[in-house]
Amino acid sequence: MSGGRAAAPGRTRSRRVTRLIDTVSRWGFMLPAFVILLAVLAYPILYTIEISFAELDLGTFLPSEWVGWDNYETVLSDERFWHSLKVTGIYLAFAMPLQMALGFGIAFLVNADWRGRGAVRALFLIPMVIAPVVAGGLWRMLLDPLWGLSNYLLGLVGIGPLDWFGDATLGMATVIIIDTWRWTPFVTLIATAGLMSLPRDVFEAAEIDGANWWVMLRHVTMPLLVPIIAAAFVVRWLGAVKMFDIVLASTLGGPGRATNVINLFIYQEAFRGLKFAESAAMSIVILVLTMILTGIFLRGTRHLEQRY
Amino acid sequence: MSAGNPRRRRAIGRQVRIWSGVVVCALFLFPVFWMVLTSFKLQRDIFTSPPTLFFTPTIQTYTTYLKFADVPGRILNTVIVSVGAGLVSIVAGAMAGYALARVKLRGATTIGVLILLSRGVPPIALAVPLFLVARNLELTDKHITLILAYCTFLIPYVMWLMRGFFLSLPRELEESATIDGCSRFGAFFRIIVPISLPGLISTFIFSVILAWEELLFALVLTSRNAVTVPVAVAGIAADMITGVNWGALCAVGTITVLPVVVFALAVQKWLIKGLADGATKG
Repeated sequence: MSGGRAAAPGRTRSRRVTRLIDTVSRWGFMLPAFVILLAVLAYPILYTIEISFAELDLGTFLPSEWVGWDNYETVLSDERFWHSLKVTGIYLAFAMPLQMALGFGIAFLVNADWRGRGAVRALFLIPMVIAPVVAGGLWRMLLDPLWGLSNYLLGLVGIGPLDWFGDATLGMATVIIIDTWRWTPFVTLIATAGLMSLPRDVFEAAEIDGANWWVMLRHVTMPLLVPIIAAAFVVRWLGAVKMFDIVLASTLGGPGRATNVINLFIYQEAFRGLKFAESAAMSIVILVLTMILTGIFLRGTRHLEQRY
Repeated sequence: MSAGNPRRRRAIGRQVRIWSGVVVCALFLFPVFWMVLTSFKLQRDIFTSPPTLFFTPTIQTYTTYLKFADVPGRILNTVIVSVGAGLVSIVAGAMAGYALARVKLRGATTIGVLILLSRGVPPIALAVPLFLVARNLELTDKHITLILAYCTFLIPYVMWLMRGFFLSLPRELEESATIDGCSRFGAFFRIIVPISLPGLISTFIFSVILAWEELLFALVLTSRNAVTVPVAVAGIAADMITGVNWGALCAVGTITVLPVVVFALAVQKWLIKGLADGATKG
């Protein structure tokens, strides 16, 4: 290459032009997505950071005065913020394992090989595409303490009547039930694809070798399933941290503040309370927290994939 | 040990597995069935104790409420916004996904990680600044604003899905195209896009579905002209003063859900394969 440069400068220039064109055409594929994401994703995040350190003038809706860490101090000393974080944590701690277990269990059931398998699998997808806000409203009707179908059915077996929306624990249960109904099919879908991709001959070989079901589970199925479970967990996590629609349409954060998940809390503070600066500070806290946890989970997934 | 015994046990196990699968499926579908049923009830059939399965079906809720709340207008808004967002995202996202999969880019790995991380950005962190910016630019309550807002989650989603799809295509395709004198763009649009059409269409449909049911951005960025159906549903469900109009909720809910279910079932084969591939081959 250096020899070429010394011998023929003219050719080098044309080569340089070709290379420039080449680079441009490579990055040309990235350009539309890059420009849009810069404008609607990166810029808003930077703007949120700016607002979170300022006071927002409600006359002009522009940041007016630089206040340093004030908004963060206000937010972090707000008991309601911590309460919402706790509520979100409880929701995640119960809903995610429940959905993972149900999702994989049901995937095992609906993948039994028979004539109707395709239909069952397809129909089972339906809750997954019900708009979350519709799911929330629909279940609010089913769980209605007075006229709802669920209390009637529970009454038949001697339970209740349960005040699903009046009791703090039951309120949380309501949210988890609705969320689980909406999202379990999604986990099932991922699990189904994972189960379909499992190598059949490994199981057959183990069976021929006379492995019992425990050895089979411990040394054959689990190692093959762990990466799939990990991947499903990450995808479900990415959805679960966005929990908003279902709560808004069913419990509206109540009773009291029992199901006031963090996204709903920030929404109310910003758009009902018009506390944009504090909301921005909360958003940044949540953003950082989510990014860290997502990073940890992604790393953990990769680690598990390598180990097995 | 007789050979028949374990075989019979296995046959019974299979039957149990099949039937519990069917029962679980029915249980999960029941709420949807109940919603559709309720949408055809009169008010007096909704508020009965015990709840009733037998009644004279009527479309009265549809005819009266839909006109009263301008549901057709909102459906039109939702169609414009979700199809628009789907189109922008599939074009920009597929090109970028192709770049990540096949074009050698410096820093492609970093970009990949950033995209994956960006899927974890809580929408509320974007809703506040998007609202403030849109307000200052006088862009609130416009379709284009919502379309761009939906790109924040649709483009990374499409990029990731299509990256996996393009990675699974044989490399020889572009190589032969380049030898035939196609430019990189020519190879992409003339060779890659046509053979990826099933994947592209399914990804597009799924993007439209995601945009169709989005609530938060629609709630924040629209007020009258560009209001979407999910906002209308949230409005009915949040009506604490007069009590929830269950009939209206079920009717609007059924309308919201119907087209999505039809499309999802149409692409379900690819959905199972493609969507889960995108999830598991991270």
